Amino acid sequence: MKQVLKIVFVVLIALQACRTPFDPEIPSKEISFLVVEGYLDTEGKRSELKLSRTVPLDSSTSFSPEKNASVILSSQSGQQFQLQEEEPGIYVFERNVPEQDVYNLEIFLANGERFKSKPLKPILTPPIIDAGFQKDEEGVEVFVTTKGDENADDFLWTFEESWIYRPRIRTAYIYDSKIGTVRDRTAEEDISLCFKNESSPDILLETSSRFQDQVVFKQTITEIPTGDERIMERYSILISQKAIAQEDVAFWEILKKNTEDIGSIFSPLPSLIGGNISSVDNPNSPVIGQVSMGVVQEKRIYINRVDVSPWNYLDPQFNDCIISLEPVFTQFYASTFGSGFVLPTIPLMAGTTIVGYYVTDKRCADCTLYASPVKPEFWEDE
Amino acid sequence: MKKSLLAVLSFILLSVQVALAQEADRITGFFPGTSFTRFAELVEQQTSYTFYFKEADVKDLTVNLQANQDKLEDVLAVIFEKSDFKFTISRSKEVFISRGEKLQIEFPTDYFLRNTAGGGSVLQDEFVRNRRYTLGTPGPGTEAKIAGFITSLENQKPIEGAIVYEKESQRQTITNREGRYELILPKGNQTLLIQNIGGYTEQRLLDIQGDATLDITIGEGVFSLSEVVVRSGALSNVSRPEMGVQSLSVQQMKKLPTVMGEVDIIRGILTMPGVNTAGEASVGFNVRGGAADQNLILLGQNTLFNPSHLFGFFSAVNSDMVQGVDLYKAGIPASYGGRLSSVLQVTPKEGKKDKIGGSGGIGPMTSRLSLEGPIGKNTSFVVGSRLTYSDWLLDYIEERADLGASRAFFGDFNANLSTQLGEKDKLFVSGYYSKDRFQFDPDTVYSYSNLNYALTWTHYFNDQLELDLSVGRDEYEFDVQGEDNPLNSYLYGFSVKQSFVKAVFRHEKGDRHILTYGVHGIAYGLNPGKIDPFGPESIVIPDEVSPEKGLEASLFIGDEFEVNEQLTLSGGVRLNWFGNFGPQTLPEYAAGEPFFPENIVGENSYTSGELIKSYLGPELRFSGRYALNNWSSVKAGVNTMRQNIHLLSNSSVITPTDTWKLSDAFIKPQTGIQYALGYFRNMQNNAIEFSAEVYYRTMNNILDYRSGATLILNDRIEQDVLVTKGKAYGLELYLKKVTGKLNGSLAYTYSRSLMQTDPSEQKEQINRSEWYPSNFDQPHNVNLVLNYELSRRVNATLAGKYSTGRPVTLPVAKFEYGGSERVYFADRNSFRIPDYFRLDFSVNLEGNHKVNKPAHGSWSFGVYNILGRDNAYSVYYIPEGGKLQGYQLSIFAEPIPFISYNFRF
Repeated sequence: MKQVLKIVFVVLIALQACRTPFDPEIPSKEISFLVVEGYLDTEGKRSELKLSRTVPLDSSTSFSPEKNASVILSSQSGQQFQLQEEEPGIYVFERNVPEQDVYNLEIFLANGERFKSKPLKPILTPPIIDAGFQKDEEGVEVFVTTKGDENADDFLWTFEESWIYRPRIRTAYIYDSKIGTVRDRTAEEDISLCFKNESSPDILLETSSRFQDQVVFKQTITEIPTGDERIMERYSILISQKAIAQEDVAFWEILKKNTEDIGSIFSPLPSLIGGNISSVDNPNSPVIGQVSMGVVQEKRIYINRVDVSPWNYLDPQFNDCIISLEPVFTQFYASTFGSGFVLPTIPLMAGTTIVGYYVTDKRCADCTLYASPVKPEFWEDE
Repeated sequence: MKKSLLAVLSFILLSVQVALAQEADRITGFFPGTSFTRFAELVEQQTSYTFYFKEADVKDLTVNLQANQDKLEDVLAVIFEKSDFKFTISRSKEVFISRGEKLQIEFPTDYFLRNTAGGGSVLQDEFVRNRRYTLGTPGPGTEAKIAGFITSLENQKPIEGAIVYEKESQRQTITNREGRYELILPKGNQTLLIQNIGGYTEQRLLDIQGDATLDITIGEGVFSLSEVVVRSGALSNVSRPEMGVQSLSVQQMKKLPTVMGEVDIIRGILTMPGVNTAGEASVGFNVRGGAADQNLILLGQNTLFNPSHLFGFFSAVNSDMVQGVDLYKAGIPASYGGRLSSVLQVTPKEGKKDKIGGSGGIGPMTSRLSLEGPIGKNTSFVVGSRLTYSDWLLDYIEERADLGASRAFFGDFNANLSTQLGEKDKLFVSGYYSKDRFQFDPDTVYSYSNLNYALTWTHYFNDQLELDLSVGRDEYEFDVQGEDNPLNSYLYGFSVKQSFVKAVFRHEKGDRHILTYGVHGIAYGLNPGKIDPFGPESIVIPDEVSPEKGLEASLFIGDEFEVNEQLTLSGGVRLNWFGNFGPQTLPEYAAGEPFFPENIVGENSYTSGELIKSYLGPELRFSGRYALNNWSSVKAGVNTMRQNIHLLSNSSVITPTDTWKLSDAFIKPQTGIQYALGYFRNMQNNAIEFSAEVYYRTMNNILDYRSGATLILNDRIEQDVLVTKGKAYGLELYLKKVTGKLNGSLAYTYSRSLMQTDPSEQKEQINRSEWYPSNFDQPHNVNLVLNYELSRRVNATLAGKYSTGRPVTLPVAKFEYGGSERVYFADRNSFRIPDYFRLDFSVNLEGNHKVNKPAHGSWSFGVYNILGRDNAYSVYYIPEGGKLQGYQLSIFAEPIPFISYNFRF
């Protein structure tokens, strides 16, 4: 046994699991199925029904709108409501309709194809009891709490996020070529305050009957890692809560599985996706989409950086952004600022007169390059 | 270290064999009734010996034996054993055959015919076979009784049917099933010869003074064991009546290149034709187009429900504790049943009977240690354990890969005890425990364990009739502990436990019948899933799918009937009854309606022990062999099988969280039938074996799942299961060279495995109820193993595998939904991942064979996936920069070197 102990054990190992791009040849056979998406609000909130077509995988866009269709929602008690196409493929419904009725959706495409939904039964979504956030060492977790009831057991949450985006270097000055000099920026010309908006692709589902008294307590909506751009100053999230039927859950789960869970070591097989819409003329031709009706419950919360500090947001792409050490003097304003790539930042005073400006690159000071300067309508300042 | 005589004996043998082997011109060949003249010619062709004899002397002498690397002296001793022929071999390799008197040439060359009583040369001291041992104590009488056991040096298995004889007095006996012999011999200097049929002849020079025990471990030696194993396989290739049976010894497995230095039985059988795997990191294997859960994996008498470690990278069986494996792909004997596709019989090791010894190994992932030896006179034990220290490796992987594995632990423990109770009874007790624990992320801990134990009593009523009676228990359970949030923390668990009793009688009736009959009963208890809150804050509601109980009873009888020399028939019937028992509350679906929630019209309650539903069906096993001549045969067979327990798995490979399900009121037993036909041929004196087999099989009531089916905590699984049919067919070609410096095998398989949703199924019809390829339908499969023995101590192995890529379901279109781009998948399994190809290389180095070394060590090293090919394990698509990018995931995408050290003491 001594000899065993004497052995110097050298292990050479380089195990690596890796992924490489995969581009199989898919028959070019055009695959174009109708896709229907929508949750129609019964309380008159503006809600959208999207009609589109599937596109090949290598297509540059993924939304191919189905235009000029006629979409009619009819109740079994005999009422009919026409949805209006406001943008290509987006049909808007904005009516207060009785929740106890059962509805059918009919779609007549411009090319004459006809589709219809299975009967739709509106579900009254219970309100969001609480929405909030908590911080831990990894970041901020946004959550909601709600309570299901006998009609509303399964929940689907979606959210839209908005936040203030600031450039690394702020400037209050602008070179005005009309007057040939630098002046203060007007509110419209402000490039130091922008807003970013994103709607989430995540599909969040939960069944309340899994929990005691059907209370879904502090359901995680999203997690923002510490230092993330979103809470560089002030962040807002609008959480929409929709109660859905069990068949809807099946659809969303397949959608979720087919998108999120494919390809890991133990991932399940992709599943066929269908929905509650079918073709009238050709019942076997695939249609994708699960349309629901009910009430959308929404809640918006804000998170300020001070609420979660220390946050330490730092975007490394701006680490080379500096304010020049040498000022640009008046006589060089036109040649320096005329192109627009260099911006004045801090004035150089000689007594009470401005004789020049310290400058920086436009990419370091102009947030409109990355975000929208328009404050969203809902935005509330602190 | 204090050593007994026997310890010395068996130990020295290791080196003796090697020394002797180096110089001798060895004889290999199958001589079925060959005339001696022809035999001499053949030997002369093969070796440098020259024969001298009178033609007339030997005209009636025939040679009837099989030799494999045997010394000419041994072979001739056997040929002339009962005749008055004598032979003498000169140094210049001239062989003189004479009758009556031994021909005297100038000096003695034959070292064992001359009993050098007191001569004691220096050379002889080195050779255990030429050393004289004193047995017994002096007493009255002129004769003494010598008894003992003959066991194999390599695997410590008793050698049955070995001839033990004394050279001068010609007294002889044959060892019984336990390897025991007993012989009355004259006192004084004697030469005892032990002839293992077709193998080596071993000898002991004895000075018999009185009654004594002499256990002898006989020598295949370190290097030649596998040759012996292969040889017995060679005979059976052509002559055994069953077909579709593949055997592999641990020694053969050890030569194969490994992943991370772990000798793996399942990777070993993957080199066989007709066996493939859907995923590289999966020990779940598919036999002849059957699903992975259709393989019965037996460790001794115990069923292993999860044969894998470390989420499937390694098989759960410690190769040190195994003698060999037999895989029955067709021709499954009537005594086996319970799964549709195959039986993998892993034969556990029995402890050495002569002295305490052990073995172990150190590799990059695990260490192994086992200890074996006798306890008293009639009992031997072997215990072994294997533990991992894989965390460092996982840390390494995590830095570089998508596995995201954080922590993993596994270990297993085996213990076997075998004891002889008198002449006619033998007890064998075995136990196995394995445990796995791993995390993919810090919050979720997966763990699972196997626990198996069994007691087997073997009783010999007489020479014709024996009984094996086994009782035991198999348990498998897993749990998942989720702690990502104290409020939602949970503990989810599953378990399946079965107790079994099996009695098998083996009855030789006359010369031509071997009957096998018996009963087999299994009581199942299954907890299909249970979730509990974990921790005081958790608000998860406990939920439990009600436990399942089942009872299975089988009666079987089989007969192997040698009709004549050419034709052997083997047939059997197994009558299988399965009952599903309460307590249970089941919904009642409207008659003739599909199992939809809306079709529930009532509820039925069953009390504890009440029979809910039973199934009865016969299983037929039939195969026949017709020998065309001594070296080729044709075989055909039909098998029907039933399976009452099903693995619920939604992914293409076996995963650690797959659960089992018993047949019940709604889920019927799986049934299948297989037809097979084969041609078997041995060439070049059995040096080359060839076989070609074709098969066609159909399967009923196999399971597939409707889209979006949730298998976990599903009370009403029948609502998500699609009744599915399967069919598979294929051609398997196998060429194996068993001897020579260069040996190995080449297997080619063409096979298809297809499934179809039953057209009457109303829940969903996959691919419009057309036939679609199963997840493991890989039409072309080539396996190559080449082993080259550079020297007695060094051998190198090259292994290659090619197979068609497995089917996958690919996205073909995309659309926008729920705020993101989504994909639309094409028909189930209508595309394939790229073809698979891999080459592995390994070198095994045996240590030197100095007698006084405390441990016998060997090194293995090599490279897995030497070409570094990125074999796709799976493919998937993720949205990336607005475009949907496909990726293929490879698990072992680079050459992976490995090294391990194994030792024996």
